[in-house]
Amino acid sequence: MTVPTNDTLYDLRSVSRVYGERANKVRALRDLDLTVHDGEFLVVAGPSGSGKTTLLQLLGGLDRPTEGEVLFDGRDLARLGDAELTGLRLRTIGFVFQQFNLIPTLTAAQNVEVALAPRGLDAAGRRTAVERALASVGLEERADHLPSQLSGGEQQRVAIARALANEPRVVLADEPTGNLDSATGEEIVELLRSLSNGGGRTVIVITHDPQVAQAAPRVVRLRDGTMEEAA
Amino acid sequence: MFYLNYVLSELRRRRGRTLVTALGLAVGVALVVTVSALSAGLDRAQDRVLRPLTGVGTDLSVSRPISFSRGAGNGLSTGERRRLVQENGPRPLALTKLGKPGSHFSRDDFVATSQLSFSSSKLSRVRHLSGVAAAAGGLTLTTIHVEGKVPKQQQQPQQQFGAGAVAAGPPRNINLSSISVAGVDVRHPGLGAVTPGQVSSGRFFARASAAHEAILDLSYARRKGLRVGGTVHVGGKAFRIVGLAQTPLGGQSSDVYLELSRLQQLAGRRGRVNTVYVRATSASAVDGVSREIKSAVPGASVTTAKDLADRVSGSLVDAKNLTGKLGLALEIVGLVAAFLIAALLTIGAVAKRTKELGTLKAVGWSQRLVVRQVTAESVVQGLVGGALGIVLGLAGAELVSALAPSLTATVANAVQATPLPGPFGQGQPTSASTTVHLDAPVSLGLLGLAVLLAVAGGLLAGAAGGLRAARLRPAEALRHLE
Repeated sequence: MTVPTNDTLYDLRSVSRVYGERANKVRALRDLDLTVHDGEFLVVAGPSGSGKTTLLQLLGGLDRPTEGEVLFDGRDLARLGDAELTGLRLRTIGFVFQQFNLIPTLTAAQNVEVALAPRGLDAAGRRTAVERALASVGLEERADHLPSQLSGGEQQRVAIARALANEPRVVLADEPTGNLDSATGEEIVELLRSLSNGGGRTVIVITHDPQVAQAAPRVVRLRDGTMEEAA
Repeated sequence: MFYLNYVLSELRRRRGRTLVTALGLAVGVALVVTVSALSAGLDRAQDRVLRPLTGVGTDLSVSRPISFSRGAGNGLSTGERRRLVQENGPRPLALTKLGKPGSHFSRDDFVATSQLSFSSSKLSRVRHLSGVAAAAGGLTLTTIHVEGKVPKQQQQPQQQFGAGAVAAGPPRNINLSSISVAGVDVRHPGLGAVTPGQVSSGRFFARASAAHEAILDLSYARRKGLRVGGTVHVGGKAFRIVGLAQTPLGGQSSDVYLELSRLQQLAGRRGRVNTVYVRATSASAVDGVSREIKSAVPGASVTTAKDLADRVSGSLVDAKNLTGKLGLALEIVGLVAAFLIAALLTIGAVAKRTKELGTLKAVGWSQRLVVRQVTAESVVQGLVGGALGIVLGLAGAELVSALAPSLTATVANAVQATPLPGPFGQGQPTSASTTVHLDAPVSLGLLGLAVLLAVAGGLLAGAAGGLRAARLRPAEALRHLE
């Protein structure tokens, strides 16, 4: 366990998350303590069902803990209202999903624009932000392509561009290489790591892929909802 | 623009579902358009039937019917009874005094119809009642023309000819014919037994030459082979036929229409009328005017446009009633079914898009924005459905107009309630029937209503889908596997 310091971004204290009731009760996380520093590249590893995705959703303000506190920049996310969490996700956190979660009828540029639309930017401002985001993942030439016209790696790059569109402090990636071949997966991991190293962003990657874990300076391993070890 | 692109791309992606939802709404909207157009067509047909009689719903006609069910006095004053006898009593026709046996004779008599006449002073009183915009008198009589040779048999008892004799039949060598004649006050062309709007060929009376002009009922003219420009004889005088008029349904049609004062002069009834045509200042004033007339003219019978409408029967009314009840039910059921289908399909679509909507929430879309997006898609579907519905509805209305089913309307005559036996000339008035062809007009207002309904259907479906979308927790939505 890392001791909170001045550059602590996340501070999780005795966090538990329980789904269901009585006989169907499932404890996805148990008394988890975790500190993540600003600008850190962290990998959360563990087998399926270990609670990785639950942890990511708590970090992203998509879910609330049953017990404990998830402090983000000193604020307990569990105490924020829906509107505040929505604002936080819009401006501060970018998500990358295993299945990319792109909207199939929108082009790459429009998929990136999805994340910008709620901000109320004018068309020119949105266009500039889209171009910048796509350029940062090397896909500026593929802006007008539909997801079905892109490879898996390119689709994941579009998803990363969407996550970066609002220049968030944090990027949360859930199994970002799960649907990619190993070579493409390595490219994506490298891209995510570059967002932290030099990019200044905090990047938290959830994976069960040992190769991804090897590439990270710090790895947190989960098993049955508890933190097994930190490397 | 982004949101609209997103809406359109989503609708394109789910083309089949979009089409089914839009078609569901279209059927509901088309039902409303067609049934409402049909109803408007029936209204128009009814209006076509009644307008010639009722003006624009502000007309009343006043008469003084005689009731034979009230006993010996018939509800008449002594003076009225005297006038009744004077105007309608049998006139002796002493054949022996007509000339030498074998010589030709011709004679015209006028008898009143089933209404008592009254003086112009009562007309003046009606004119000055509040709520009365205009009033004009009318006189409807039957002229009996007797023509033939004086019989040679000196011992033949004295024959009497009057209305009562018509039924018994004339003696040989003597021809007897009768025509109904109505006097029209040409100073009030819109108020009278015949109006300019009813003239189907030729023209209405010209004020300067009205005294020498006649307008004939179309069917009478056809029966007698008379045309505009020809001559008709009434009371032994010749009149130039200037127009032919279509008999209005339920009206007291006459064979010949003359200028009022000329008829009064011919019939020896100067200053007398037996019908007063009244135009009220507004439709809402009709009932009040009717009450005031009844109080100002004792024994008066007032017939309003509503009375006429109430007396209309036949397939036109049956169709109107059917449209009013079944049509409305059909519209409601159709719309409810359409809205329900649209709502269920939208809820289904939202369920299929759980992961997509969860992603939107994850990347910072507020609940309101997600609901707005789902609703906007439904509203666009509604608009597509509305457009399709209008096309279908117009096709339905066009089909009704093309088929143009014929409907009959029958109006019981106003005086039928007080039937008179033979002695008073015209005998019993008969019910009038007419046939109208139905069409189904579609107004801009109806099209606007169709669009509104379609949008409402879309909004309703969007609200149902939006509610479902709003309840999605982003974490649960992202766990959802498509």
